[in-house]
Amino acid sequence: MTPTPPDTQLVLLLFRLISGALLLGILAVLFIALWRDFRSAVEKTSVQRRIYGKLIEVIENDDGFQETAVSHPLLPLTSIGRAPTNTIPLDDDFASGEHALLALREGQWWLEDRKSRNGTTINELPIGDPVIVTDGDVIGVGNRRFRIHLE
Amino acid sequence: MRAGSLEADSFEKRRWHHRHLEPLLLGLSFAFLALNAAALSLAQPDRDRSVWLIVAVWLTCAIVGSVLLRRTLAHCDPFIFPVTMFLSGWGLIIIERVAPNFATRQTIWLALAVILMVATAGFPRLIVLLRQYRYTLLFGGLALLLATIRFGSNPSGIDGAPALWLSLGDFYFQPSEPLKIMLVVFLASYLAEQYAVVRVEHAAFGKTPTPRVVGPVLLMWGLSVIVLVWQRDLGTAAIFFLVFLTLVYVASGQLRLLIGGSILALAAGAAAYILFGVVRLRVDAWLNPWLEADGRAYQIVQSLIAVASGGILGQGIGQGSPTYIPVIHSDFIFAALAEEWGLVGVITTLFCFALISMRGLRATVELRPFPALLGVGLSVLLAIQGFLIIGGVLKVVPLTGVTVPFMSYGGSSLITNFVLIGLMLRLSAGEQALAFPA
Repeated sequence: MTPTPPDTQLVLLLFRLISGALLLGILAVLFIALWRDFRSAVEKTSVQRRIYGKLIEVIENDDGFQETAVSHPLLPLTSIGRAPTNTIPLDDDFASGEHALLALREGQWWLEDRKSRNGTTINELPIGDPVIVTDGDVIGVGNRRFRIHLE
Repeated sequence: MRAGSLEADSFEKRRWHHRHLEPLLLGLSFAFLALNAAALSLAQPDRDRSVWLIVAVWLTCAIVGSVLLRRTLAHCDPFIFPVTMFLSGWGLIIIERVAPNFATRQTIWLALAVILMVATAGFPRLIVLLRQYRYTLLFGGLALLLATIRFGSNPSGIDGAPALWLSLGDFYFQPSEPLKIMLVVFLASYLAEQYAVVRVEHAAFGKTPTPRVVGPVLLMWGLSVIVLVWQRDLGTAAIFFLVFLTLVYVASGQLRLLIGGSILALAAGAAAYILFGVVRLRVDAWLNPWLEADGRAYQIVQSLIAVASGGILGQGIGQGSPTYIPVIHSDFIFAALAEEWGLVGVITTLFCFALISMRGLRATVELRPFPALLGVGLSVLLAIQGFLIIGGVLKVVPLTGVTVPFMSYGGSSLITNFVLIGLMLRLSAGEQALAFPA
């Protein structure tokens, strides 16, 4: 091979540097895009995990409803029932396996009865179609009562 | 943020990625390839201009592939395709530089591979069909293996060289390449079917692995041993066994299987070391290549020298001397890369391989057992193959003689790996894109 002239060598050196820079550029683009993707995945999970409020178990007495120390976190989809797969599993003989569902839709909380045997109540009134619930409402599933606390 | 819009939101992000990230990555890759083509022509003026033809074909493949993928599978992972194209384009340039005779063929293979990848990714029922015909695949694969053992040959025509190819006239192909995917499909679907039972048994019998999970491990071990004994193909045997061991471990969650399997593998490896000269040579050359630097360990020593002379930025394309290494365009292509692109090139390549496997694994998180295990198997297959050969060239592990995915010369390997990427892309588009009967 003939020795390369000095100016060609200079151009080749320049090409080498740009080629290295391009590789680093590709690495940087990949890294930033991965980071963004990772952030959005974290955001997605944390939105799903965010607690929107809680359901506090209450017991009925002469003055109305008395709050107990037991509470459950409220998620955008909170299912209540006797089956252990529910978000809030209940050990209650009058609750069905999949009894009721609380869902956040279009900024509103909806309570839905999932064709349970004994029905679901809101403020002691049985519900048929899904209803919108608000802060302070008392939800009844089987023998249990829960007050909804939104945050 | 509303709960219902989350899904739509992440799809929106993906679409954004496709519109911006993919063209950006492909554009940067093109700039890199074109720059290196120019540098190659400048550094070696006697060379013909076929390197530009290669870059042009690569660009066409990249654009056509990108457009078709966007049309058929809009929600697939935005990283996998451009990174794969980057690696294979780089591979083509290296082959053109070190072994120009092979470059034209490899370019044709790349065009075919991209077409097959798009076809695989754009076939919604494929995953379901793969599950349905798993035994056909298994026995088809075993028949291929037997055919290779019986009728195999070597394109180099040297007597005593490992006969791993089947020939059809002038056309050679290596059945062990498609066999890898076929066996991953079979094992993934077998384990997905047994998945529930395996978990129950694990709960019932505690830590003792049952035949249901030990069976496939032994089967795959037997298969790997057959490959090793009859074909002396250390690389394929190692890949088979490691991938399947990982898959069984992922499906069962039993660490004992991993430990037991590793002991089996080591036992087979030790026996092979004692019995077969090929294996002994590889291990000896790995432990201390300098004893026979110009004898049996010539290849690995030359490779180490090439890697060392690369430095940080490399010698520059066409300016190193990687052609001292025998069969540089196939198993040792990574040594050429290390010499002419240096540490920066090595890190970029390793990162790209890790990225593809990682995205493949990431895609499986929300899938059902069969597609999830399939995705794990394919990602691990790629990762292990990359690790074995790159580690072999850098003397981290004994040399196993497998191809560097997407980069090495070899039609069977390139096509198989692109089909693998096609499957991975299909899996990455989410559960809806898999067309499982409801």
